[in-house]
Order: sequence, then C-alpha cells, then structure tokens
Amino acid sequence: MNEYAILSIHGAVILFGVVLMTPMGGSVASLFHSRYPSTTTKRGQILAGMIFVCLGGFTVSAQTLWMHNKLSEGASVCAGNSILNCDGLIGNVAYNTDPLFGQPWGLIGMFAFTTLMWFVITIAKEPMSPQTQLFIKGGLAATIAGLPVIMLLVSYEIKEGLICPFCTVAHITNIIALIGFFVLFRLYESDEWAPDMKKSSRK
Amino acid sequence: MHENGFGKIGENMNSMLHDQDASARSDAGIIVMSMFFAGILIVAFTTSPIASGTEIGERAPIFTAKATNGNGWESFAFEDLLDLSWTWNSTEESPWVAVEFLDIDCGYCKSSATEVGEWAQMYNAEQWPGPDVVFIAIAVGFLGDHTRAELLEFRTQYNNNFLYVDDLDVSIAKDWDVGATPTYFLVQPDGIVAWNSQATNGLGWDAKEEKSVPLNGFDDGYVQLNEAIEQLTMLNGGE
Repeated sequence: MNEYAILSIHGAVILFGVVLMTPMGGSVASLFHSRYPSTTTKRGQILAGMIFVCLGGFTVSAQTLWMHNKLSEGASVCAGNSILNCDGLIGNVAYNTDPLFGQPWGLIGMFAFTTLMWFVITIAKEPMSPQTQLFIKGGLAATIAGLPVIMLLVSYEIKEGLICPFCTVAHITNIIALIGFFVLFRLYESDEWAPDMKKSSRK
Repeated sequence: MHENGFGKIGENMNSMLHDQDASARSDAGIIVMSMFFAGILIVAFTTSPIASGTEIGERAPIFTAKATNGNGWESFAFEDLLDLSWTWNSTEESPWVAVEFLDIDCGYCKSSATEVGEWAQMYNAEQWPGPDVVFIAIAVGFLGDHTRAELLEFRTQYNNNFLYVDDLDVSIAKDWDVGATPTYFLVQPDGIVAWNSQATNGLGWDAKEEKSVPLNGFDDGYVQLNEAIEQLTMLNGGE
C-alpha cells in the first residue's frame, strides 16, 4: 500500500477526533449516545474526540518507528524527489534518535501519546474525581513539553531542506491534544463540566 | 451516637470514591499499556532493525565532509558510495568500501601508506577476481594541527590515488569510535561493517549468513586489511 494512503488512514482517525471535539461533532457524537451516554455532554464529546486524536497520534508514531527500523535494514519507505521525504530524516542517524536517551523519535511519540491517552481515559472514566484537575493539568503540561521537541525536529527538517509528512502529522496531533487539554481545563473551571452540579459542590 | 454514625457513612463513601478513582486509573492503565505493547509487538515482528555503529554487523555511521582526489577539496557524502539495496546475491556489481583512519604524523600510518596505496590499485584491477573495493582515507588530527596542504602532500608522497577526507576536527573519528591510528574498516556495499581492525580484529561479518566468522591472519595471526578483504569479499565463492 502506498505510504500516503496509510498516512491518510492515520489522518482520518485524527480528523474524526477533531470533528468530535468541535461543536460540529454533535451529530457524529450521537452515534455513540446509546453505548456511551457520557457523549451526550460537551465534556464527554470532547473527551471522546481526544481519544481518537491520541489514538491517531499513537498509530502514526508507531509507523515512524516501523519506518526507522525498516530504514536501518536498508529499505526505502518514503523517499521521493520532492521536498516530502521521510527517508532523509527518519533514516538520518544524526537526527533520528533523541539526544538524551538515544531512542527513536517514533518510540518517544508512542510513549507520549500513550501517556496522553491514559490521562484522557482516566478523566473520562471518573470526571468527578478530585484528581481530575490534576490530570487535565498533567495532559496540558505534557503537550506543552512536546513543543520544544517539535521545534527541535522542525529545525532538523529546515537544516535538511526536507519535510517528513508522518512526523509532521504527529507534531500537529500533539498541538491538537494541547488545544484539547486547554479546552478541558477551561470547561472544568466552568459549570458546563457537570451541568447538573454546581461548581462549588464539585470541589 | 448519631454523629458517629454519619461520620462512619461519610468515611465509607469517601473510601468508595477513592476505590472508584483508583479503579478508573488502573483500567485506563491496562487499556493504554495493552495498546502500547500491541504496537511494539507489531513493529518488532515486522522489522529486523540494524543498529548504527562500527561493530561488525552494524550499519556504519554516514557523514559528509570535504574530501580531495588530488584536485581541490569538494563536498563528499559517504552515503554516495553505498548501495543500500545490495544483498550478497545482488547481480549488480556494487563496490565494497575500505576505510582507513590515519594521522599523517603517526609512524605506522607512514610505514603502511605505500602498501595501502598498492592495495587500493590491486583490488580495483581486472586481475582481481572479487568485487571492486573503493578505498578512502579519513585524515584525523590526533597528533597535532595539520593543514589540508600537508594532507595533500602526504597523499602524493605515498602515491595514495584515492579519496582523502578532511577530519582534522576528528568529528568523524568520534562517530566511528576511533581512538588510535591507523584503524581500518571494511564496509559492505550496503553500509554494514564487515570488519573492524581494532575492536574485533580476528572476526568478520559473513554477508550471506549474516553472522560473524573467524578470519585468518596469514603471517602472524593479526589480520591485515588485505587479508580481511580477500576473505570476506570472497567468503562464499566470490562473484
């Protein structure tokens, strides 16, 4: 299968999550209402969307790890004559591992999106827990911590004059997750988190 | 009595809520850990990654640097010498690469320089039954500050008609884990290190079987570059 066809599958999962997170996603969320009643609320809808976003981020990161390994075997997975070229970046030993632990960036991405998904699922399962705010802040902090990493990786792309589409999708997904956690943070501060309970009674 | 009763109910409620929170965290933990390990297993079962490094069987670190063929210094990419799709059974005649790290002030580098120059010609000649071997010298500055002019002079003096790479800042030597000169490497056409003169002198990498094999040092047990070339490129009967 063409690499861009596979990328579009990851993209579709992320896009579906983004749609769910927005007010436009109300009709889409209705598909889940009977099985997951929490999606009838704004909170539940955003959290469901974030699960898809994190899942897409995870799968695209897993694919970059797969590409990293395939490239080390000598295969070509996403090369082209255009500026869009993963081989030149994921296959470049000078840039393809993190400078602290020496691990492939794909594995770091998988770990990051797994952690974010743990925050999201925990919040979704127990939205009234006293720790909910802590988890939202944790997700926010983790996605903000991803920004300098994204900047470092973009600097590699600029240096090499190449763009790795798979890496870019993972970067954008981190930014979407950051926005999602910020929206959750604002929602938690308002009465809309649990419309039938006053904010003061939640604390 | 009444107050005690309500206090107990409160405590029980609180404990139940904590149990629920803990359960939510562990449920979420099980879900995401399953997802993570499923992802890792799929990657692990569908790929056989090769580490980057200079031990035999590893993929040699690639580099770009200024290099000379005798006429000025131009940009050179090590990757350009490689054919990543090469396999032992390839019908294409991709050359192997012999890499020598040398310091123009090192005594043994001087005494072996003429011989290395001869090997470079010999393993590219028509009479050589094996695959071509491209030689490159990576000139480091371990023993003093040299200039490019001195490198050129050394190259000419010893009739080394192959590429000399400027690594006077020893950055390539660092990546290749070279601490002394001369150090020789034999690299397969696909970039896999087949022999490392310092780390595992008596072992080579069998490209066909993808495992290490013992090598013979014909004179004194110590394997020289030419001996490694002759044994490894012809290991399974040659071309």
